Amino acid sequence: MSSDIHKIRNIGISAHIDSGKTTLTERILFYTQRIHAIHDVKGKDGVGATMDHMELERERGITITSAATHVEWNDYHINIIDTPGHVDFTIEVERSLQVLDGAVLVLCAVAGVQSQSITVDRQMKRYKVPRIAFVNKCDRSGANPQRVTRALRDKLNHNAVLLQLPIGLEADFEGVVDLVEMRAIYFRGDNGEKIEYGQIPAELQAEADQRHAELLDAASMFSDELMEAALEDNATPELIHEAVRKGVLSLELTPVFMGSAYKNKGVQPMMDAVTRYLPDPTDVPIEAIDLDSDGAAVELQSDPEAQTVAYAFKLDEGRYGQLTFLRVYQGTLRKSDTVIQTRTRKKIKIGRLVRMHADKMEDIEAALAGDIVGIFGIDCHTGDTFAAPGPQINMTSMFVPEPVISLSVNPVDSKAQDNMSKALSRFTKEDPTFRVSLDPESNETIISGMGELHLEVYVERMRREYSAEVETGAPQVAYREAISRRADFDYLHKKQTGGSGQFAKVVGYIEPSTDGEYEFIDKIRGGRIPTEYIPACDKGFRASLDKGNLIGFPVVGLRAVLTDGNSHAVDSSDMAFMTASRMAFREAYKKARPRILEPVMRVSVEGPGEFQGAFYKSLMQRRGTVLGSTEDGGFARVDADVPLAEMFGYSTDLRSATQGKAEFTMEFSKYAPAPKEVSEELLKQYRTNVSDEEDA
Amino acid sequence: MTDLMISLRRSPRTLLERDGHPGPGPGKLGLVMARAGVGKTAVLTGIGVDAMLSGQKVLHISIERTIDKVREWYDEKLVEMLKQNKKLEHLSSLQLIMERNRHIHTFIGQTFSVERIGQTLDLLRDAMEFVPAVIILDRMEYAQLDMPSILELKAKAKEIGAELWMACRTHRDGPAAAPGHLPPPAESIEDHVDVAFSLVPQDAKVRLHVIKDQDEMIGKDLNILLDPQTLLLVTGVTAKK
Repeated sequence: MSSDIHKIRNIGISAHIDSGKTTLTERILFYTQRIHAIHDVKGKDGVGATMDHMELERERGITITSAATHVEWNDYHINIIDTPGHVDFTIEVERSLQVLDGAVLVLCAVAGVQSQSITVDRQMKRYKVPRIAFVNKCDRSGANPQRVTRALRDKLNHNAVLLQLPIGLEADFEGVVDLVEMRAIYFRGDNGEKIEYGQIPAELQAEADQRHAELLDAASMFSDELMEAALEDNATPELIHEAVRKGVLSLELTPVFMGSAYKNKGVQPMMDAVTRYLPDPTDVPIEAIDLDSDGAAVELQSDPEAQTVAYAFKLDEGRYGQLTFLRVYQGTLRKSDTVIQTRTRKKIKIGRLVRMHADKMEDIEAALAGDIVGIFGIDCHTGDTFAAPGPQINMTSMFVPEPVISLSVNPVDSKAQDNMSKALSRFTKEDPTFRVSLDPESNETIISGMGELHLEVYVERMRREYSAEVETGAPQVAYREAISRRADFDYLHKKQTGGSGQFAKVVGYIEPSTDGEYEFIDKIRGGRIPTEYIPACDKGFRASLDKGNLIGFPVVGLRAVLTDGNSHAVDSSDMAFMTASRMAFREAYKKARPRILEPVMRVSVEGPGEFQGAFYKSLMQRRGTVLGSTEDGGFARVDADVPLAEMFGYSTDLRSATQGKAEFTMEFSKYAPAPKEVSEELLKQYRTNVSDEEDA
Repeated sequence: MTDLMISLRRSPRTLLERDGHPGPGPGKLGLVMARAGVGKTAVLTGIGVDAMLSGQKVLHISIERTIDKVREWYDEKLVEMLKQNKKLEHLSSLQLIMERNRHIHTFIGQTFSVERIGQTLDLLRDAMEFVPAVIILDRMEYAQLDMPSILELKAKAKEIGAELWMACRTHRDGPAAAPGHLPPPAESIEDHVDVAFSLVPQDAKVRLHVIKDQDEMIGKDLNILLDPQTLLLVTGVTAKK
């Protein structure tokens, strides 16, 4: 491993499902000599692509969990995280984006910018990840990389600029024109490994000249030197590369490359672009929190001699136990080092340190700042920070969305019960959006996550990887309750049953809070409630939020304000004030017009324009609020907010309404008040369930 | 909520109402003229918000822009209006009302055509029972509408009972308006323009003028400014010269 941090690239490969990113990764592994034969994603040869290392992924032809791999290209060290393409696994994407410095956005030359690309791009913007684009599948019928580049500008607002032109397209796709060096590149040999340079074909010369000029125009916005050189007709490839890099790093320019990973064309120049234009770890400022200084932000330095700080972004259960993927942000992580897990303050000794290559690994002695490595034998969760003794540094916490859907899982026998426990324990450590709880009434285990597919995959993994046969209940939507207006309370809790009694009086009001969070405000003046009992009041209100009185779901967005009260020198206690607060909450809650909130998903449906009406209808039928529609050539996209409760089975309905030609993505948007008829139905169901339980 | 919505209204349409005009009315065309970057889109968005606050449905058509971008303008405008009125707590309810009464339709990749607008209106009516009372056409300079297209649009608008609002970009160095006419390039269609406003930059401020109202060519400074920070219209003392 080189000690030159400027030669490290941590990149992600993100795209819409079926854009061919796994095939692309496979080719990268081949060209960097990490593998010696090429396999297809769907495994015609029964082997499957190397990065899709889980059995389930191979079967479905999709990438479910990220797999990290390390490759070397022209003296550069590149850590690649292959990210999932389905929106139900966005936490995987988000994890990757947090530890990556740059990304390759893979787009299909036929389908262009699809709905998932839009979601992934939005996530990349959130994490300020510089990116380059690779238009794949140029060999397919209907391929049009120029149209895809326009869509990058129009649909994603990228300042996209072509760095290549295709030589031929569809079945005639032969290679690319390099618009920087102004030469043709062909990919010969059985696997495209022999690169040949040649003159630009005469029929493409005029277009290449025009695109070269456009490239100079776009790149010179980031370099005065290039601008001057271009004016004097003296722009060198070095000046262009430098200017493009500046544009990419500032997130203001997206260079577009093209090829066909499947046909072994265009991959190597894209790899050159990764090393040339994407940032090294020193280009990206890394902010962490210093817990010793009251959570003050500190900028980490990519200095191998500084205090070591590393971040666990992915866990995997391998043959040798739990494998934790770490990004080293500062200092050097060495085998046998002792680091402190910030969350638990436990001392951890680094045993085995490995560099990953999909499902194979290589033992190493040390990892420098900027690198991504795996360690064995550590009990931790994703999102944990490890730091060498010194200031308590924690990486900024990752944005974790709340689960929106739940499912009961019941093991079929006692063996399955044990295995299920093991599986759930591992999954919750791996995936912060996957939660497990126990329903106290039914005593059933409840799993919660980000969508139907998300939970389906975990149920399937329980069966396959842990032999845990389980029966699942119907999916349940994670409703919430919230009050809609202020209501006062004045509650006296007084009990005298012999011995020391209980006395507590609380006066105040509850009201909706605008930010959706719980807030407790103490406005007691003159010690009407002694200070030591105030936390018990807070606790009492907080405990009441776990289960609302309407349909038994958690209460959100509530502010409890305590204005007055009373206490007794002997009979008051924490317990008395907690009880008083809980009863006061119950009293006020009914008056505060509580209502049911339902999770609403942002749904994007996309397909041929002839189905636009069908999209509208299907969304309206599901209580959707259509936000807008976009026409792009013969394609139409409709965006809508739709309650999650209405989205079950949508993919089947959409397929049958559009002969399988349309697709959709969805992600959590917000919680919104459920309409009257839905609320009434939920109330009815809740009452029936409660009375059934009482009867039983 | 209705009282709040009415109290928030502020756009060139309300000004016409105050002067006894009902707005351009079904099938009529209103124009907002200004050179690039002065605030045409802000005024158009303001007209859209105003229509929704008065309970009307709005179809906002744009070219080469994303739905998210257009939504952002509406949301920003609403936030500013509520901030100024110290009513920010009503934001989410009003956003919901706006979302239910607005449809954004964008054309990208040179797919715009008046015929497609007609088809979209039919689809919205048939599939969603959405019939707009106000149609906003933003960035029409990209569409380069000719006279037959304008007439076709007006006919379609009249058929469904909607008024049309459109932005028209004038040129900094272009020829001035001939007396009694709209500034170029709108003079060629002025007979079919029912109401026209212009945004006039002056001393680092942008003033709103009415230049045509029904058949009358005027040129009246309305003593209204477009606040460059909030992009809201400002009336009263602060707007006076």
